[in-house]
Amino acid sequence: MMPADFTALLPYLILTGAAVAVLLAITIVRNHRLTAGLTMAGLVLAFAALPIALSAAPRAVTPLVEVDGFTIFFDGLLIAAAFAAAGFSYGYLQRRRIRREEFYLLLLTATLGACILPASVHFASLFLSLELLTVSLYGMIAYLRTELFGIEAAIKYLILASISSAFLLFGAALIYTDRGTLSLSRILLPESAAAGALHPVLMVAGLGMVLVGIGFKLAVVPFHMWIPDIYQGAPAPVSAFLATVSKGAVFAVLIRVFSLYTISSESGMYAVLVVIAAVSMFAGNWLALLQTNIKRLLAYSSIAHFGYLLVALLAAGPNSVTAAALYLAAYFVAILAAFGVIAAVSGSGGEAQELEDYRGLFWRRSWAAFVLTSAMLSLIGIPLTAGFIGKAYLLLAGLGSAVWLLAVVLIVTSAIGLYYYLRVILTMAQQPAAENRPAQPAVLDSRLGNIVLGALALGILWLGVFPAPVIEIIQRTASSVLPF
Amino acid sequence: MQTPVTEIVWPLGVYAVAVLIMVTATLAISHVLGERHSGRATGEPYESGIVPTGPSGIRFSVRFYLVAMFFVLFDLEAVFIYAWAVSLREAGWAGYAEMVFFIGVLLAALAYLWRIGALDWGSIGRKSLDRRKEESRRDADDR
Repeated sequence: MMPADFTALLPYLILTGAAVAVLLAITIVRNHRLTAGLTMAGLVLAFAALPIALSAAPRAVTPLVEVDGFTIFFDGLLIAAAFAAAGFSYGYLQRRRIRREEFYLLLLTATLGACILPASVHFASLFLSLELLTVSLYGMIAYLRTELFGIEAAIKYLILASISSAFLLFGAALIYTDRGTLSLSRILLPESAAAGALHPVLMVAGLGMVLVGIGFKLAVVPFHMWIPDIYQGAPAPVSAFLATVSKGAVFAVLIRVFSLYTISSESGMYAVLVVIAAVSMFAGNWLALLQTNIKRLLAYSSIAHFGYLLVALLAAGPNSVTAAALYLAAYFVAILAAFGVIAAVSGSGGEAQELEDYRGLFWRRSWAAFVLTSAMLSLIGIPLTAGFIGKAYLLLAGLGSAVWLLAVVLIVTSAIGLYYYLRVILTMAQQPAAENRPAQPAVLDSRLGNIVLGALALGILWLGVFPAPVIEIIQRTASSVLPF
Repeated sequence: MQTPVTEIVWPLGVYAVAVLIMVTATLAISHVLGERHSGRATGEPYESGIVPTGPSGIRFSVRFYLVAMFFVLFDLEAVFIYAWAVSLREAGWAGYAEMVFFIGVLLAALAYLWRIGALDWGSIGRKSLDRRKEESRRDADDR
């Protein structure tokens, strides 16, 4: 390996080192503050190493991993999201009487797996990093061992994620049988088709199975059944991590695959993806309409958001990657803020999951209510929030490539979404019903959590008012390498 | 070069039909030829042997699982080390450095397991006693 290879891999090496350092730190002295501090320092260091890695990019390190501007941008997004999730976890775990330190170990390994995903250009690295992420997530979801919902969610996730991994593996094997290569950039090329290529059925079946595996992780419509239960059962910081890091990393893989090939709009694959996108948008918003549990509501709405994101990919225009990356960034900020508030207002007894728990939050904890309001407005896509800019770019990308059907569905379903997001805000503004509910136990504010929430609220507003710098960063890094 | 789809699909179809026939035949033949009786133990899960006695819910220590897991973990690592040993000269110093790092991570994990008392056998090891004391003290501090 050349020195430049190490430069390109520096963020991953730092994350690995941080995981081992946290392990050793727990071995020597068990201290929640120290462990959390080490973890966050490791994440900050890895983030700071991204510009250094960018200086070596684009660089293919072994046939497995490609570090380019696209990789660096998504790694930055994922590391920042993991940092926010770690910040929420500190206050959340501090309130519980369990062993807290190992959580950060799992968080670091999961982040490492997620960060390698956008760099994967080979089925081997894709599968390994996906498993690193998923296996760490099993532990994170079940981390509160005394809470039955968490265990139930972890077992469901274990079984369903294993099945989806099996689909992915089988699909990769079928493609390999047909094409004789596992490299993502070569499987669909005409040359490889000429080399092996006697079995179009194998190829179609393989691609279909890979799509099932990826679709499961993204929770788009036919593969979405798991998501409400897992979001509800997992501890709120873990739900935040799942919603951002896990799904964002897999979506990055999808963008990379789409950028390698032009999928003709007459092909069967394209039609399948259009149906998945449209049905996801409808079903996600529809199912969220009558939810009274805020975590389930966010879970269903996330189905819709990934349907919106697919619109950008299917548009396949010059602005597609910019639109998708910007929307993903805006979604990350808003959904992290929402789950951060849930983690912050949950007491030591249980989580505040029901909408009723949020009644009158403006009076009780106006800061948390303000952050949740801005997050909801951003998820709707109200002007002056991050979500508006994201959605505007998505629509521009869609209309620019004249995918009328999807653009119309996007607008209509966004209007449906207005109802349930606004209901959350309305509930917070209502006067607390004094008579029937026992007073919520006073929750100690976690200073760290509040700082992270403040930064996220600021991010929502900043992206909404002055998005130019972020768009410029995206255009310099994420979209420069892609031949859309 | 392209072969028509039907030519690829038909062996698959024959195979599927063969599987169906075999499963149906197995079930049908054993249904026809098999004897039927209703003894005291017919409904028992383990029909062909001795009638089970005593409760099946025997509790045994979770440490058995722990040891099994450690075995799988560390044994699997040994497989990687063997693979490296075979290609020692080809891998060169770079391979050596990677293996040192790999074993270093393993040692860190072993130290961690030792520290948390996962290697202690017995109803309650000294380490875990210390740890419980420490934890209760820390919980008191938190409150």
